[in-house]
Amino acid sequence: MDLQRELGGNLGEFAGWITSMDYGNPVEEHVHTRTSVTVFDVSHMGRYIIRGDKIYEFFQKVVSKDLRKFKEGHMSGPVLLLNEEGGIKDDIMLYYLKDDEWLAVVNAPNVVSDREWLIQLRDRLGFSNSDVEIDDVTGKTTLIAVQGPKAPEIMDALKAPEDIKKLEILQFLPNAEVLGKEATLISRSGWTGEEVRSYGFEIWADVDHGREIFKKAVESGAKPAGLIARDSLRLEMGYLLVGEDMGESTNPIEARYWLPLTLGKTDCIGCDKVMKYYEEGVSRFRVGFKFKKGDRSIPRHGSKIFAGGKEVGYVTSGTYSPMLKRSIGMGYVKTTHAYIGFKLQVEVRGRLHEAKISEFPLI
Amino acid sequence: MASDTTVKTKLGEYLVKGDRLYTKTDEWLLIENSTITIGITDYAQKKLKYIVNVELPEAGHKVKKGEPAATLESVKSVADVYAPVDGEIIEANEDLIDAPETINKDPYGDGWLFKVKASENIDESEFLTPEQYAEKIRKEET
Repeated sequence: MDLQRELGGNLGEFAGWITSMDYGNPVEEHVHTRTSVTVFDVSHMGRYIIRGDKIYEFFQKVVSKDLRKFKEGHMSGPVLLLNEEGGIKDDIMLYYLKDDEWLAVVNAPNVVSDREWLIQLRDRLGFSNSDVEIDDVTGKTTLIAVQGPKAPEIMDALKAPEDIKKLEILQFLPNAEVLGKEATLISRSGWTGEEVRSYGFEIWADVDHGREIFKKAVESGAKPAGLIARDSLRLEMGYLLVGEDMGESTNPIEARYWLPLTLGKTDCIGCDKVMKYYEEGVSRFRVGFKFKKGDRSIPRHGSKIFAGGKEVGYVTSGTYSPMLKRSIGMGYVKTTHAYIGFKLQVEVRGRLHEAKISEFPLI
Repeated sequence: MASDTTVKTKLGEYLVKGDRLYTKTDEWLLIENSTITIGITDYAQKKLKYIVNVELPEAGHKVKKGEPAATLESVKSVADVYAPVDGEIIEANEDLIDAPETINKDPYGDGWLFKVKASENIDESEFLTPEQYAEKIRKEET
């Protein structure tokens, strides 16, 4: 056996952060999230505080979604930062604290480049420093995610306000007390699917406070879970990971990433191009697929997708789904082959595996 | 028969069974006449973590010493299991196909992988004794 033949990068490091890939058994952590409750430390996610009198005007011009209905106590849902060609720089989440103060969560690998891009656009679009100020507070704060049907019990154990149970998905409670101390906010959100299917909360807190919260959550019965489980959970739901499933050379139409789009919005960077792709069509589509029941060979980023003898696409993410007891994945295939139910073959270590295109979520 | 030992290092505890031989690539071997049963060690399964997929050779398949005969896959990694001798596969542990996690639960028992019939006399001195294998783990983890 050769333990050196590892895939998937450095164990323990993601975007420069040393973080827990797993706590011994990522598959169990996955199942536990779906059936009970787990706690993730997702402090590697980039976090900004955005202040100024013109933050609404500014973000309306730089993100893919119409923000006119965005209001206090709400998260925006994922919104895209696009380049001029309509390619995806990042998907980010905005939090409306008050009219002149928002928060943003961005993907870890882009924490520096997103801020640079926003500042570049601020200058280019004629906004001043005081109109829009962007502070990177990533290292100063923590983000703890409590996910799963039993999440409310853990929130009780953390002495979180009762009011959080009334939060709708993508709403938050600012300055919420947790364990007797004020946290920045508690939101009904996550990236596991449980935020939609059952309960998921995320707590934004100072570093020491966050550590205390994580520890108490584990003591109260939440199983600690790492990045590997987070990845397999999001993949079952069909959530895209920037850098894997989308990037600067992918547009949201071919990625079929509808959630962050307001079609017809023209007054944002890259939005006109998105509309053009939508109207004129694209040559590939992102699809989800499942292997046959019991087929556990894992397709990896870059695995080729065939229809008979013809190569028609490639895999961008793959994993073993503990819920379906088979491997699943997503990737891009020619639009001529991108139909729900269409049968394809995916190459894993030189062997072809039967796969069927399925709609998201895959479970 | 040598007794079992538990190797304790800074990074973990690993059982080394005293009743069998080992390879430098973390397989264990139970040799009976010309037939060898092969599995991976407790140390190896703990490094690989939760195994979700196993690809086994078919009976009748000819294997060459040092070449991959089986593949184990966890969510984030893939590892080959090498044939310890030239020979022919006589049986693979098909129960693992639906329950690959058995390798994690019982690496030295129900988690065995395949049996190979050696085509020549087996030279046991090529393999590691339990003491030598325990020493290998200690070295790797210091």
